[in-house]
Amino acid sequence: MTTERDDLPAGMTADEVSAAPSVATVEAAKHGSLMVVRSLSKHFGGLVANREIDFDIPRNSIVSIIGPNGAGKTTFFNQLTGFFEPTSGTIVFDGLDIAGRSPNDVAKLGIGRTYQNIRLFKEMTVLANVMVGRHVRLRSQWFQALLHLPSVKREEAETTQRARELLDLVGLSRRYEDELARNLPYGDQRRLEIARALASDPKLLLLDEPTAGMNPGETAQMTQFISRLRHELGIAILLIEHDMKVVMGVSERITVLDHGERIAEGTPEQIRTDPLVIEAYLGKQATA
Amino acid sequence: MNERRRPVDPRLVLKRAAGMGAIAGLVGVYLSLVGIVERFETRNVVTGVVTLGLLTVAIAILVAAFVAPRLPRAWGMAEPSRGLKFAASLLAGAAAAAVLVLFLIAVESLDLRDIFPNASPSLARILSLGMDGPTGWAALAAMCLAIGAIAGALHALRSRDRQPLVAAMAAVLLVSLMEPFLNNVFLQLRQNALAGFVYERSGLTIPAALLVFFVVLAVGAFETYRGEQARERVDSLPEATRRNVKYVTLFFVGVLLLILPHLMGVFLSEVVGTVGLYILMGLGLNIVVGYAGLLDLGYVAFFAVGAYATALLTSPASSLGLGLDFWIALPIVMVIAAITGITIGAPVLRLRGDYLAIVTLGFGEIVRILLLSDALRPIFGGAQGILAIPPPEIGDLRLAGPVNLYYPILAFVILGAFVAWTLANSRIGRAWNAMREDEEVAAATGINTTNYKLLAFAIGAVFGCVAGAFLSVKIGVVFPQRLDILVSITVLSLIILGGMGSIRGVILGAFVLVGLPELLREFAEYRLLIYGGVLVTMMLLRPEGLLPNRSRQRELHEEHDAEETQYQQRAGGDTGAPAISTP
Repeated sequence: MTTERDDLPAGMTADEVSAAPSVATVEAAKHGSLMVVRSLSKHFGGLVANREIDFDIPRNSIVSIIGPNGAGKTTFFNQLTGFFEPTSGTIVFDGLDIAGRSPNDVAKLGIGRTYQNIRLFKEMTVLANVMVGRHVRLRSQWFQALLHLPSVKREEAETTQRARELLDLVGLSRRYEDELARNLPYGDQRRLEIARALASDPKLLLLDEPTAGMNPGETAQMTQFISRLRHELGIAILLIEHDMKVVMGVSERITVLDHGERIAEGTPEQIRTDPLVIEAYLGKQATA
Repeated sequence: MNERRRPVDPRLVLKRAAGMGAIAGLVGVYLSLVGIVERFETRNVVTGVVTLGLLTVAIAILVAAFVAPRLPRAWGMAEPSRGLKFAASLLAGAAAAAVLVLFLIAVESLDLRDIFPNASPSLARILSLGMDGPTGWAALAAMCLAIGAIAGALHALRSRDRQPLVAAMAAVLLVSLMEPFLNNVFLQLRQNALAGFVYERSGLTIPAALLVFFVVLAVGAFETYRGEQARERVDSLPEATRRNVKYVTLFFVGVLLLILPHLMGVFLSEVVGTVGLYILMGLGLNIVVGYAGLLDLGYVAFFAVGAYATALLTSPASSLGLGLDFWIALPIVMVIAAITGITIGAPVLRLRGDYLAIVTLGFGEIVRILLLSDALRPIFGGAQGILAIPPPEIGDLRLAGPVNLYYPILAFVILGAFVAWTLANSRIGRAWNAMREDEEVAAATGINTTNYKLLAFAIGAVFGCVAGAFLSVKIGVVFPQRLDILVSITVLSLIILGGMGSIRGVILGAFVLVGLPELLREFAEYRLLIYGGVLVTMMLLRPEGLLPNRSRQRELHEEHDAEETQYQQRAGGDTGAPAISTP
């Protein structure tokens, strides 16, 4: 959670901004962006977790959101994936306004995600985890499954095949496929989470701190892997990180959040030298 | 794993052993005071040698004395020497002896019957092995010490030698407990001589006991020493041969299932029919609890709805007075079941775990109270229920009586097991499992959790209602007293005993928890006590159940556990160290 801020005056909360949905849609069409977010705000009671954030994700790009702990990054993420309903603002994904839709709808439209603290289906096998990820792309219904129709069997075989391909892609050994997810080494659990997210054929992959808890070697590997994913699958990737090195290495554009507001946006070069960003990260003295 | 371990501290080991022996002694005292020892004394295990009464106490001591020298891993101590292990077992036996002898003296010298009605002179006679005064005390003490020594001797054996021995002892006990069943089968087959050879006064005869013991021992020993080779040889057989063997086995199992009621006679067919109903309910609740992870304590509601819906539709004496044929009524009942499942499921969609359990518990009671109520008496007949439910008919054949009803119940159990299996191994089953593991993530993966929860409730309800339908035609009347919370608890217990999410487990659980108590009428009084004991033991020793489904079993594998802690430690050590941290 990113709402543990208590230094905002109570009066500052309720500036209601309602951008017309059409504005964002039009802009999306103009830029050819995969996702266009306009004036997105989220309030938890008196707390403002996100304040009027504008944000674009071009197709087939890697963009990042950085910011100190409690800056509102995960809240922002949770609104994109349907976990939270925005207080106001619009999220246009692939031409559709998805603000406030349920998480399973959002997943179906083509957004896959991973979690900051790995959330696998721990007591299921590695292969089953990936197959669950494929759920939205499967069509067999309960009554068909119940009759054990040939079409169901075929679909199952295809799903198994696809899941194995994804395990190969993320570099998980076939040896592990019948292992319970919770028994995997930490780094492999991260990979498995990505494989599960990819199984739904997403157009946009959201990675929430994919290198958290990794040593420098593993971090470098993961960074490489992320750019490989974009090239091989042609998808867009949104990264949340607070490890600056990862973000600078792979992303085209970076957005910096602090206290729930966007304080900077630009290329890694621009962000590196932005005084506001340095202040947010290192405190006022560093800029002086 | 080569972790460093402390050297053994004999004093700690012996202290632990004495403690466990004393606990076993107290268990013996408890078994005596609640009357189990005396009640089961009438039941012979091996006639003229051992009775079940004293055996319950003996088993408690044996388990304690055997477990005592096994140190908990958390102690981090090296393995004790053989001598020390034997001493520990013997000490556990001695501690149990001390407790029990004191108890015996107390029972003999003080009259405790005002407080403990079971602390009678006849109990004292049993505990003192039929001897008087100090000789009896000595006999009891000697028995406890002997058990301790046996446990110690078991430790001296290699585990692969020990297993066949323990299995053989367990087999003797089991064959003896199955006396009402097997004896009946022998008599039905007119094998009176065989029945006389195997059983005598409700226990095994000595030659039969020895026979069972050595046969199982031999099979066990063969399995241990030659099992690997035998399996290899089977594996090296051509595919076609193995398939044929499988088909032949299936054929014989099928034939056996078909002629079984005629072998068993009316009473046992009745018991097996009841077990069948519980298997059906177990399969249904297993979908809700085992697959989808929704703890439903009011499952009896569906059983009741099924029974009453069938009664209303088929009985000419019911308020509807339709008198429909059972096979026409059954599909209608199944539709009603699905609707009931969704109706009960819908309001509790947002509840999880304990809260869900409490609310469904309430639903179960509401259904029973409604059926019992005066207000709805014109429809449901109040406490009296609905009478004159006709048996199902196929053509001219009336499926009345336990022997005939066995067949449709068997058919539905097989159908139910197939449905449960095929759903579990499909996209649907995976979605349920994912939901059970982490509902939020399941939703983010694209699973419509609302629909899948309702589907689980609806399918579970259909299973329960079909079981209810057969209950009503089986006994010909329905009334609310039969449909209380105990049914829900029994079904849940048999799932836990067999193993959550396991179909084979449900079947085994139903036979153990529903079938056995019917065979052992002495147990009836202590049924709930035994349920409780079984559940606690299972949770402590084998939380995955007797026949777990594959993935659950792997969960509790020791090596994996060790690996996992290692990774978790590493993960914990590395997180929270970002390159640039917040001020």
